[in-house]
Amino acid sequence: MSKALDELVVVEICSEFFASLCGAMLGDFGARVIRIDDRSNPRSVDHDRDGMHPPERWNALDELAHRNKQSLALDLGKPAGREIFDKLIATADVFLTDLPFAEQAARGLDYDALREHKRDIIFARGSGFGPNGPDRDLPAIDELAAARTGVMPTLVQPGEPPVYTGAGQMQTTVMLAFGIMTALHHREESGEGQIVDASLLGGNMYSQSLDMQAYLAMKDDRFLEPVSRLDAGNPMSGPMYPSADGPWVTLAMPDTDKYWPTFAEVVGLDVDDPRFDDHEKRCGENRLEMMQVLDELFAKQPGSHWQKLLAEKQLPADVIQTYDYPVEDPTAKANRYILDLEHPSLGSIQSLGFPIYMSEAPARLRRLAPTVGQHSAEILQEHLGYSDAEIESFEQDGTI
Amino acid sequence: MGEAIALIRKEGVSKALEGIRVLDLTQWLQGPVCAQFLADFGAEVIHIERPVTGDGARGVRSIKALPVGDWNQYFLVINRNKKSIAIDLKKAAGRALLCDLAAKADVFLSNFPIDVLRGLGLTYEKLSEINPGLVYATNTGYGHAVEVNRPSYDINVQALTGIMTRQGEPGQPPIYLGMGSGDTYGGIMSALGILLALHQRRRTGRGQYIDASLYGAQLFMGAPTLQPFLASRNPFYARQQSRKNARNPLWNRYRAKDKWLFLCAENDDENWSKLCGSLDAPDTAGDARFASPQSRAENHVALVEALDSAVAKKPAQEWLERWRAAGLAASPIQNLKELSEDPQAWENEYLMKTHCNEVGREVEIRGLPVTLSKTPGSVETLGPELGQDTEILLMEALEMEWDRIEELKAEGVIP
Repeated sequence: MSKALDELVVVEICSEFFASLCGAMLGDFGARVIRIDDRSNPRSVDHDRDGMHPPERWNALDELAHRNKQSLALDLGKPAGREIFDKLIATADVFLTDLPFAEQAARGLDYDALREHKRDIIFARGSGFGPNGPDRDLPAIDELAAARTGVMPTLVQPGEPPVYTGAGQMQTTVMLAFGIMTALHHREESGEGQIVDASLLGGNMYSQSLDMQAYLAMKDDRFLEPVSRLDAGNPMSGPMYPSADGPWVTLAMPDTDKYWPTFAEVVGLDVDDPRFDDHEKRCGENRLEMMQVLDELFAKQPGSHWQKLLAEKQLPADVIQTYDYPVEDPTAKANRYILDLEHPSLGSIQSLGFPIYMSEAPARLRRLAPTVGQHSAEILQEHLGYSDAEIESFEQDGTI
Repeated sequence: MGEAIALIRKEGVSKALEGIRVLDLTQWLQGPVCAQFLADFGAEVIHIERPVTGDGARGVRSIKALPVGDWNQYFLVINRNKKSIAIDLKKAAGRALLCDLAAKADVFLSNFPIDVLRGLGLTYEKLSEINPGLVYATNTGYGHAVEVNRPSYDINVQALTGIMTRQGEPGQPPIYLGMGSGDTYGGIMSALGILLALHQRRRTGRGQYIDASLYGAQLFMGAPTLQPFLASRNPFYARQQSRKNARNPLWNRYRAKDKWLFLCAENDDENWSKLCGSLDAPDTAGDARFASPQSRAENHVALVEALDSAVAKKPAQEWLERWRAAGLAASPIQNLKELSEDPQAWENEYLMKTHCNEVGREVEIRGLPVTLSKTPGSVETLGPELGQDTEILLMEALEMEWDRIEELKAEGVIP
């Protein structure tokens, strides 16, 4: 079966997870992704810098961020290493990097330098804060960008510390891949390459864009403070209620009139309860009382009871699961969102799979993440046409 | 470099996706956002709506679940740069019209439930027979492989992934990652899938079926913790973790006198000495429990406490200045008001201003998160009036005579 990105060559110098993962996504769909592993760009996922990733028997984030890639360990500081790199760029369609501007310029890895070797190169940069503005040189660290984007203080309950979710960077990964494909489309039409930039700031802003847009339209101070879960605008859309044994229930029934008769029966309220018998009362004068009542009712039964009943009645309401749920979920496996793998040294393991389905070119796991320099000789020989003798001398003098 | 990527805003600049025609049979959020990304870069996106009421998001005020304001920012921003055609798909002639349009389109996109599309006869099999080059894209709730008969609002799907239970301090309720957080992620996934399929079409001449679901996108969104959990089954990754228990206290949130800060420094001796030099807390700086990376990791709870009390003594701005001078990465934790005044967001056009006809004034909108140096995205218009382009599209795209248009109006196929 053919691949969507057959014959596309991507050369990557990335250290951050979100930018490296963009390269892996292109690899998933068939691009040849050559990662330059150089002392200057350590794989950020190789160490527990934030203290939130205790070491495991298998570096799962590294595996995800670098799957379907080849690794070329190259010393870019040596003239011979630079010559190899320039030859490689001449064969590339896309250069993908998260290097800061200053480092790009200092090392001759900026757009103008690379264009000398490939006129129509797509120069894709995963950045922290975008190509313009006073903070364009700040490092591409997701926490710094998430902190700027406005909802960390308000996603939580009143009085709680602001929360960092890590979800914003995932937007940036896909935005960057989208930008690369958009630029490739233009290149096919015009023969012209260009610079693509997607930033952690932009990704985090889009991740929360409804809340942000609502604030922009209304400039209302109520968006600046967290709201208690029992002070929501609609008791049947948004709030969460704890069940008897711990799991929480969430409701998504914005149009309360439509669901009220079934919902009232499920929770054990009288459909004609005069306090709650129309949408205006439920979302208006009696909403606080209704949330108190629901809080008590949901606490009477365990999560499993609610899960069964809500599903039977086809109500848009769920018990909030833990990661144990997708691990066992046949739907997640049938769609290959989660893969069962046989790892050569670790045996049976699971990994995240592929979030995009393509009928004629499904994403595939063609190779596990490479060790540093695993493909150095192969790339030089097959891709760039160096002789065995030349490769041996590069190995001896430490160029590769 | 700075010059090279400075945004180009001149007449006649070409659009990257010019010439791509997208039939956007979507409603609410995920599907419209997907098409919005394509429209921002110049694709001709035709939002297909039912007559009279249109996309449900046009009536978002009536459901009262979302704050809206005096203009319908929910609908108008995600449907910007689009055309609107109103067709009654319940009528056979309406469905025939859509098939005629599909014959002249590059992309068909829908986030309607699969059984609804089947009922309308708008399946992949049918449309790809009419136009083998068509990219047929769906945004399902739970993926293409299994038909899951359950509601797929953003929060329902997010609830299943496990990501919500993982957020916040232990003992607190789960945290929803923000209104529409999964929808917008599914939307950009779908836009990427469409471009991948269009790319492949250059070689094969054929379209294909693609799907990007809310569930698939939201599982991927959990990658930073779900992927290590899948590999290790270590419950650490599935449960709430307290900031008071951060094993690297130098990479943590701290409350200054007036607001919260995020400090992001690796736990090495160089950073520790920079931090100590800024803290005005000689007892902490000289504390033997914090003297090495290992001892700081071992005594992390005590160190977070010590930093909590030191940082609380001065306002955020002072810490930021000191830490910047010392070469430590840190950021203020802003609220939405501060974001809306942040020059970084404006200068990159992540926030923009545009004219809104509904209220006859300039409004602020979320802008263009993907920057292209030579073919930048743009916002030409906010969302269209319902059916505003119906007649002209039928004349231009289908070369329809006015008499036939009159007939369709008389039959109620179009308004």
